[in-house]
Amino acid sequence: MTKKREITFSIVRGLLAIAIALIVATILIFISSDGATFGEKISATGAALKQFLIGPLFRIGKNGLQFEPKRLTDVLAGMIPITFTGLGVCIMFSANQFNLGVEGGIMLGAFVSALAAIYMPLPTILHAVVAVLLGGAAVGVMMLLPALLKVKLGVSEMVCSLMLNYIVMYIIKYLMNTRLADKSKGQIQSYPFKETALIAPIADTTVFTSSKLTWGFVIALLAVVSCGLFMYRTHWGYTIRMIGINQDFSLYSGMKVGAVIVLAQVIGGFLSGMGGGIEMLGRYNTFSWSSLPGYGWTGMTVAILAGNNPWFVPFATFFIAYLNKGCDMMATYANVPAQLIDIVQAVVFLFFAAEQFLSKYRQSLVVKTAKEELAAQEGGTAHV
Amino acid sequence: MSNLWSMLLSPEFFFSIFRISAPILFATLGAIVVEKAGFANIGLEGLMMFSALSGSLVSYYAGHWFPGLCAAVVTGVVMSLVMGFFAFHLKTDIILVGIAINMMGSGGTLFLCKVITDITEGTAMASTTGLITRSLCIPNIKIPLIDSIPFIGRVLSGHSLLTYFAFVCVILTSIMLYRTSLGLNIRAVGENPDAASSVGVSVIRIRYTAMAFSGLMSGFGGAFMSMSYAQGWSLDMVAGRGFIALAAQAMGAGECLGGMLASLVFGFAQALGIRFSAIGLDSNLASPIPYAVTIIGLVIFAVSRKRKAAKPRVQAT
Repeated sequence: MTKKREITFSIVRGLLAIAIALIVATILIFISSDGATFGEKISATGAALKQFLIGPLFRIGKNGLQFEPKRLTDVLAGMIPITFTGLGVCIMFSANQFNLGVEGGIMLGAFVSALAAIYMPLPTILHAVVAVLLGGAAVGVMMLLPALLKVKLGVSEMVCSLMLNYIVMYIIKYLMNTRLADKSKGQIQSYPFKETALIAPIADTTVFTSSKLTWGFVIALLAVVSCGLFMYRTHWGYTIRMIGINQDFSLYSGMKVGAVIVLAQVIGGFLSGMGGGIEMLGRYNTFSWSSLPGYGWTGMTVAILAGNNPWFVPFATFFIAYLNKGCDMMATYANVPAQLIDIVQAVVFLFFAAEQFLSKYRQSLVVKTAKEELAAQEGGTAHV
Repeated sequence: MSNLWSMLLSPEFFFSIFRISAPILFATLGAIVVEKAGFANIGLEGLMMFSALSGSLVSYYAGHWFPGLCAAVVTGVVMSLVMGFFAFHLKTDIILVGIAINMMGSGGTLFLCKVITDITEGTAMASTTGLITRSLCIPNIKIPLIDSIPFIGRVLSGHSLLTYFAFVCVILTSIMLYRTSLGLNIRAVGENPDAASSVGVSVIRIRYTAMAFSGLMSGFGGAFMSMSYAQGWSLDMVAGRGFIALAAQAMGAGECLGGMLASLVFGFAQALGIRFSAIGLDSNLASPIPYAVTIIGLVIFAVSRKRKAAKPRVQAT
């Protein structure tokens, strides 16, 4: 199949998957919409869908659509944590390691960064950098456990990392409840972060500061570039992808399979930890998470949408962040529960991951290409 | 300290081990059968969430627990068949299908709960705990003779119907796997699908059957969670039991009896955690015990398997 057709096929397939998810969403919105008669329900559904699809960028008022910069920056800010978890998952899934520990990882990273932000005396910028790197390092170390158990003993990294998520969550809750809580506050939260550790918004305007669109966004894009270069331009990245494609081949051709499997998971952990730290220091000024934030699972959706390719991660995260904002808008203005996002995400996820989805269409394209090539060959020989 | 010992030796403690193990045991049996058929269903967690929700809602609407239980089971089976469709027909990696189902099982069930209660009750409820009363739960059963035995009676009698059924299922599943042609086919497909298909076994049908079985078991597990363990469904109530079941399957070496023992170990760990928090230990320090035990258990299992494999085989002849 020609490269052009390959791309066309991917685009058609992706759009169809999104369309199916939107149809599912429409049905669910229709069921949950208010209205006594069928007509009323239809119009309520229409209004809700409008909020869902264009609400993330535009205010829908009486005098038409009005671009709302604050909403765009909200969407962009929402991309920050899931870009990191998405990249982490991309690298781990590329090596065929179904490590699901990014969920606990992002919480641990946020927690360690928060501790560094509260208790370490360091100058501005350096403080934030050290805090975020410590968060990343902590999760990198955490991922050593499932990775080493997998390589040395053949323990399923999936089950082990899932269990770690819960252990991490409860231990953080324990530490927060007993030792680290600011007892003067009504809810369980840590002492405030030092000013020096906070990650500043990109621009000093109200839109940027209220959306918390911080330098973390720029770092996230830099992380995309470095992961893309790592996976496609370095020897290590090649090995990771090769192990994912065929582990036995990699082993017999002399690659250090064990070491690289560990490396992939440690890098994945490091990225998710960084994401947690950046999110924590950019968006909050005290640590108050009491349960897993869900960015890890979203990161898995991102990785699937991006086909485990870091270069596509920003598009996938933008799409997910946009949908997320759309669901928020719908919850605010149209009384549709915001958890709709989980169903929409899962449906998109399923169809993107379905290898045989549209396989007949693909087959017809392959046949068409082959016929054309054959015809071109015959035409060529006829001339001679 | 003596306080703790008397607590740990009390019949209530042993009773709670069985009660806590039951949902894990159901899910473990599902995991075992699927594993025998040659793949892994990591969506048990999500399936249990959906079953728990539908079970509690239907039992409330019907005013009786039995329709609720049926609804939970049907939900589990139907959703597992949908998972099967994606995995076997659309060739989605089965692990990814499981992740998607778990994703839906968390926020998606809350969405459905809110929407459905908004339509039927007039207000969007974030859980069904307000709807389910004790009489809508699956009944507890006193076993006539055993009930009157001093210590044992208080441990073994008075459990929920489903708790007994879970342990009966261990035997039934074992018989199904090793004494019926279906079980033989499941194991054959798991061992070598090509060989099975060459003797006329429909591989895809067997895989669907195994998948449906895991849905059935998750249905019972989910119903137990919302209609016996707790009264009503609430967000993330399954709390990783579907994942623990995967670990129990591995620790039990993929066999029913082993899986049952592993489930009991987790039940014990969790019961211990609950007791610890009762004597003043922070519950957040006690709650991770079953998850930590899972990892330790997996490591012990892996080490022993490795030792066995490393031992030189002595020839019999």
